[in-house]
Amino acid sequence: MKRAALLLVLAAVLAGWWILRPTTWSESELPAHSPDVKAGEKVFWAGGCASCHATPVNGRRAKGADRLLLGGGAELDTPFGVFRMPNISPHESDGIGGWSDLDFVNAMQLGVSPSGQHYYPSFPYASYARMKSEEVLDLFAFLKQLEPVASDRPEHELKFPWNLRNGIGVWKRLYLDPAPVIDLATDDARLKHGQALVEGAGHCGECHTPRDSLGGMDKKRWLTGAPNLEGRGSVPNITPMAEGFGDWSESDIVYYLETGFTPDFDAVGGSMVAVQENMAMLDAADREAIARYLKALPTGPQSE
Amino acid sequence: MSGAKISALLISLVLASLAIADDDAPQQVRQELMKEVREAAKPVGNMLRENEAFNAETLMNSLMVFAKAADQYGDLFPEGSESGFETEAAPAIWEDRAGFDMALSEFADATKLAIESSPMTLEEARATVSPVFRTCKGCHDNYRVEE
Repeated sequence: MKRAALLLVLAAVLAGWWILRPTTWSESELPAHSPDVKAGEKVFWAGGCASCHATPVNGRRAKGADRLLLGGGAELDTPFGVFRMPNISPHESDGIGGWSDLDFVNAMQLGVSPSGQHYYPSFPYASYARMKSEEVLDLFAFLKQLEPVASDRPEHELKFPWNLRNGIGVWKRLYLDPAPVIDLATDDARLKHGQALVEGAGHCGECHTPRDSLGGMDKKRWLTGAPNLEGRGSVPNITPMAEGFGDWSESDIVYYLETGFTPDFDAVGGSMVAVQENMAMLDAADREAIARYLKALPTGPQSE
Repeated sequence: MSGAKISALLISLVLASLAIADDDAPQQVRQELMKEVREAAKPVGNMLRENEAFNAETLMNSLMVFAKAADQYGDLFPEGSESGFETEAAPAIWEDRAGFDMALSEFADATKLAIESSPMTLEEARATVSPVFRTCKGCHDNYRVEE
């Protein structure tokens, strides 16, 4: 009897370990790909890497060329605690200079660090998981030729139970899914490109989709807006709802992403400024693809 | 006049003065002013976007609204007006006054240059008015909370 109970506990521990353990890819699973730095630069802007990882200048968000100095150090104050942005410059010890291609893909698409630790999903790998691994390798090639930046390596300061990283293993089982969010039965290449940008690298859903109690995106209410985790108010619904974002034409959306002005010539504000400035660095065709995808979305009321 | 009537009158007077005081709250004054700026920006933006024909007079009228706003705006964020009236002013305005004033002066300077250049064609407007529009974000980025 005692032995059976012991076995049961052992089985439970093993099952727990199996569920919580970080899964990674192996070298043989990487695609054969010769990376393209120029393509990687586009991925860099689409992915908004600078918005979190560029080192703030005089306590303010980096602008212009300073967006390429990726020493980290910015803080993201959320209900779960304070996240401190790491250094992703090619610095050998403080940044990702010592990383292999495999390390980088595992980080970006499976949320696992080179030492085998789960990353918090504040790093939007749940979206990056939908990217092509080739694009991720292009991005890595672009990052590696930037200037190395030395920095401290500050830790996140999360509240219980969020400070237990193993729990992220459960989170990943529930929410880490590289499948497209919206089922678009279409041959429209521009629409598909828009889907890849918005659902993948652009990680728009991370802020514009409401989260459930465990912090996963509620895909049934995809892009219908959400409470603002970084402060007051709410993040707007960007599905084509009547008397809302649906009143914007594709060309209005393109213009907004390029210049930061709404159709009423209200100026972009808050954390969307950095996003818009990243989107302005893409090709016009990319912004047009994003607009087409947003116009094709199923709509729903604003999520609060 | 009955006592009840007098007190009703007094109450309505007090309410009326409260309403006036409300109108004078800096939060509301600055919101009205910002609305004026946005209304003035609309035709200019549509000209730059080539949704509307270029009109030098409309453009100049709008630039004058910008100049007035740039001149008055700095005084409309006194201590004590950090909240209320659904203000979208960010705490950063009071935490980093110098930065806010700097962002505002960029708007003022760009507007002044645009007025002095007195653009008569769309091309000229692109050269001197587009920079004015770019300064909007200078404040909205750090000093405004979107609701």
